[in-house]
Parts: sequence; structure tokens; C-alpha cells
Amino acid sequence: MINKVNKSSMIFAVAATVFFWIGGILTTAAPALLDKSWSKPAPGLKDYATLAKSGDADAKAIMEGRAIYVREGCWYCHTQQTRTIEADTIRSGWRGEKSPVSTPDEFVYDQPHMFGTRRTGPDLSRVGGKYDGQWHAAHFRDPRSLVPGSAMPPFPWIANDPKELAALTAYIQSLGRAKNWRPSGDYEQ
Amino acid sequence: MSAEDVKGPSAMAAHEDKSAFGFVMAAGLFFVVSGIYALVIAAKLQYPTLLGSVSWLTYGRMRPVHTNGMLFGWLLAADMGLIYYLVPRLCGVKLWSEKLGLATLALWITIILGAVVTISLGFNQGLEYAELPLWLDILVVIAWIMFGINIFATVAVRKYQQMYVSLWYILASILWTAFVYLVGNFATMFTSGVNQANLNWFYVHNAVGLIFTPLGLALGYYFIPKASEAPLYSHRLSMIGFWSLAFVYVWTGAHHMLHGPISQWLQTVSILFSVMLMIPVWSLVWNFFATMKGQWHQLKDNVPIKFLMSGTIFYLLTCFQGPMHSLRSVNAIVSKTDWIVGHAHMAVLGAFSFFAVGGAYYAIPRMLKTKLHSQALANASFWMWLVGGLSFFVSLWIGGFLQGLQWNDPSIPFIDTVKFMQPFWAVRLIGGILMFGGILIFFWNIVATFTGRADRPSEAL
Repeated sequence: MINKVNKSSMIFAVAATVFFWIGGILTTAAPALLDKSWSKPAPGLKDYATLAKSGDADAKAIMEGRAIYVREGCWYCHTQQTRTIEADTIRSGWRGEKSPVSTPDEFVYDQPHMFGTRRTGPDLSRVGGKYDGQWHAAHFRDPRSLVPGSAMPPFPWIANDPKELAALTAYIQSLGRAKNWRPSGDYEQ
Repeated sequence: MSAEDVKGPSAMAAHEDKSAFGFVMAAGLFFVVSGIYALVIAAKLQYPTLLGSVSWLTYGRMRPVHTNGMLFGWLLAADMGLIYYLVPRLCGVKLWSEKLGLATLALWITIILGAVVTISLGFNQGLEYAELPLWLDILVVIAWIMFGINIFATVAVRKYQQMYVSLWYILASILWTAFVYLVGNFATMFTSGVNQANLNWFYVHNAVGLIFTPLGLALGYYFIPKASEAPLYSHRLSMIGFWSLAFVYVWTGAHHMLHGPISQWLQTVSILFSVMLMIPVWSLVWNFFATMKGQWHQLKDNVPIKFLMSGTIFYLLTCFQGPMHSLRSVNAIVSKTDWIVGHAHMAVLGAFSFFAVGGAYYAIPRMLKTKLHSQALANASFWMWLVGGLSFFVSLWIGGFLQGLQWNDPSIPFIDTVKFMQPFWAVRLIGGILMFGGILIFFWNIVATFTGRADRPSEAL
């Protein structure tokens, strides 16, 4: 068998492809079919893309803000996942209240997903409502004026464009809000 | 028998090597450009306002130009060029079509330039390594089919029936890449959320594991015996390495989301297979080291061998780290930190770029039927790369590991862990500058080898 594979490029190519597809199918197509939680939205989750198409102004701003977040590559430095690690839930938390861990049902409508891999800056999975709109406006213009030592670049072309600024802020304020997790509901606007 | 494969009388076919040379030169140029982007974004971590008021020169737009430029502009193009060189020699025939090869080159350059422009303008699809807009994705598929046809057609008319292991890796990689690329750039269009993330990590992981790994190893299997003039230690061991890689690698994508919002059982599967990766890795490293037995003295003045064997050691280290990172206890510390950035750079810039550069230093004089412009410069580029690379990798490992420990202590404010990284980022930047010097010398050396090719007598083919 080995000798045949050795000499026939046809048999070889078929064997190599079959080997690849065993793992390929079992790890890509199968999990989505087996684990229903991947596609079942959380109770409070809003489908902003569909709402925006039906004329909802808030949803439209959030979707535009999301597009800016993708365009500027914010996701290269900010993750959006509170992991099953104690410290993550405390860092994502608010005034001593731990945040719930991120679950697949919160991200069903995310396209593209923004989970991220690197935390050059802090995780944003529960940042919605943490700071008010004025804070974000000042922060996008000059991050170090509010957070000395920050490595985040300034975004003057967004800060100087009221429409983009409002959209991006609306998106940030929407993050992690599907689970209404703060006991007093004291989210900033 | 394996020695015959490598040292066979390949000179009997008169190789033109136009496509091979063109790809390696274009790759070298993109290496320089991507290196400039690398230095700027490394400096931006220390001086966040540097070039900060220009949208297309901001960190979030330069970073994807840097990653795509290095992966597809430099490394993949260099691998393709060297494959155009070695496949005809292993088959004892000319490349099936130089015209098709040159057309592929023209298309590839168009794709890379298109990528730089579109990403700079902010047309980013939002998925790692899959940032390019759809029309460029389609051009990549077309270019890959053109490349695949040329290589498969060359292998189909080969004179030597036995296929050397480098051919295995190349043929398999052409097929795997086609599927991996389709999943990462097209299947993701029809999915969202965790499902899409899973496909994205399948693609990101296998872009390294089933594109750059097999192509890099194919170069190692060809150029190590060639440059050291020692036969490959074991053909059987290379088969174990190949088939275990083919089976094991593809399962591990979900280890990019350990502790994250993805099914626990899938995380466990990815951990199990990540640990099994040691089988293909160690069998390959054993094979390369045993090939060099009795030949280690060549490390003193054989520049291609210096690159190839250092690349092998970087490969061993990278692939020891990988399984370790996938253990939950270790992952809880290093995941999302700069440790992983150090790891990724050792894989791409350490292991696989070292294989490609070592191969290029060996092959380019033979493509041009001349001698290398300067052995001393080649040697200098090696040491700049090695010293720069080690300071880059090690500083990020130490800094990243310590930052990970700090993150796990929530009493430390996040911003303090950012300030803590600054000295490590400074060492990384210095290491990067050294490596960029190595890139410039490498590129200059191959350009001068080309322009001065008539003045130097040709080497034996």
C-alpha cells in the first residue's frame, strides 16, 4: 500500500484529501449541527441588522458603528469574550458585581464575529454602559487624556465626524447588553 | 534510495527557472515593504501618536497590511518560487509551463498590491488573515489553481517514478490549501457568531499548519540534503511525519478559543490533537538532525545550512510551545498576551522564513547559473536575523507571561499591565530593527547576484 502511494500521485492525492476531510468535517460542520446553542439567540438578543433594515434608527447607528469598528481594526487589540476564568468575570464586572461569562447565544447575529485574539487593550465584551458618551468622544480624540499610559492611537477623523462618532459610540454602548446583568440597571448612555 | 532522489542527475533537463526567480524576487520586495510596516506598528506601541492623524497609517490599518504582506506577499510567494525551482529537479523534467508560471506571478503581484490598497482604505472583512475583499479572494483562488495545474502537470510527466517526500508535502498542500482557503474566505460568508469564529480559527490555524508548514517542510526536506550533500536519514520516518501531520493538524482550530464561548467538548478535542502534533514534529526534527550527523562542521561556513538548521530548531520550539499553550492551565496565563505574538513570529519569521531564506540563498545562484554576490553579507544577514529574532521572541515571552499572571490578579488595574509591557516592547522593537537589517541585506544580496550574474562563473548545477 505504502509503495503504491509512493509511486502513484493519484492514489496519494486522494488519500491525503480523505485524511484531511475526516478532521475537517468533524471540526467545522459537525459541531454547529451538534451544539444547538451556537445558533439559538439569547432571550434579550436583538438582531440589529434586521432591525436596521426595517428602519430602526438606533439599530442603524449600531450597525454603522460596528462597520467602523471592523474598518479601523479595533478588534486586533480588543477581545469581546469574558472567558470562563475568574479574573475575566471580575475585570468585566461593575462595582464589585462579577459579569456573566460570554456564551455562544449572545453572538448569534455577529457577522463578522469580533471575539479577537489579543488584548493589547482591555476586553470589551461587557463595556456597554460602562462610560458615558462624552467620555467616549474625548477618548477617541485623545485616549491618553483620560487613560495615561494607554497605547491606543487617537482617531481624529472619527472624533471630528459627528455621525461616525455617534454611530461608533452607539455600538460600544450596545456591547454585552443582551444579558441585562447589572442588578441596578445603571448603564451609562 | 532517498539519496538518489535528491542528488539525481537533474541537470539533464535545462531548467529556465524564470517563474521561480520572479516569485522569489517579488517575495523579497514584499518582505522589505512588510518589514517597514512591521517597524512602524512596533514603534506605535511605544509612541501611539506616531503618524496618528492619517487614517491609512493608523495601527488598525497597518497591522493587517503587515500580516497579509508577510504571509502572502513574502512567505507564500517565496515558497511558490522555490517550489517552481525544486519540483522540476525532483521530477527530472522542465517546469510544465513557464508562461503559465509568469502569468501566475503577474496575477500574484496584482493581488498583493490590491491587498495593500484596499486594506489601507479600510476595506476590511473583519476576519483574521481573511481581510481581503471578495474580488481579491477570487483572484487568489484563480492564482492557486494556475499554480496547482503547473505543479501537478510537471509531476504527471516526471521521469523518476518514485516521489520524494518534498513532492508529497507540496501536492498535498496544494489540495489542502484550496479547501482551507475556501472555508476561511467563502464559507464564513454564510455563517455568524461562534459558528463563523470556529471556521475562522480552522482557517487561521490551518493557514499555518496546512499551508506554511508543509511547504516549509518540503523546502527543508529538499534543501537540507542538497546544501549539506548528505542523504536524507530515513524515508520511512518522513512518511510517518507526513501522514500523522495530514491526520492530526486539521482538528486543532478551536484551541484558539479555549475558555471562550465555544463548546467544551470541542475545546477538549482541539487540546488532544494539539498534543498529538508532537508526533509529526518530532519525527521530522529527528530526521533532519540525523541527516546532519557527521556534517555539523558545515554549520561553520555553509550559510544555507545555518538558516535551514536554525529554522529546524525554531520549528521544534514553536511546535513544543503550541501543544503546551493548548493545555487549559497554561492557556489561562498566556492566551491573548504577547507571549502568543512571540510564538507566532517564531513560527513564521523564525522557522518557515528561515527555511525559505536558506533555500533562496542556495537556489538563486543556481537559477541564474552564477555565484552568490556575497557570502559575507549572507552570513551577516543570518546573524542579524538570529540575534534580532531571539531578542524579539524572548522579550515577548517573558513580558507576555508576566502580563498574563498580572491579568489573573484582578486587583492590578489593566492599564498598569500595559505600562509594564513598555520595556519589553522596546526590546522587541530593537530586535525588529536588527531583523529588518537582515531583510535589507538579503534583498540586496539577491538583487546584486542578479545584476552581476555575467561577471561570475557559474556554479555546478
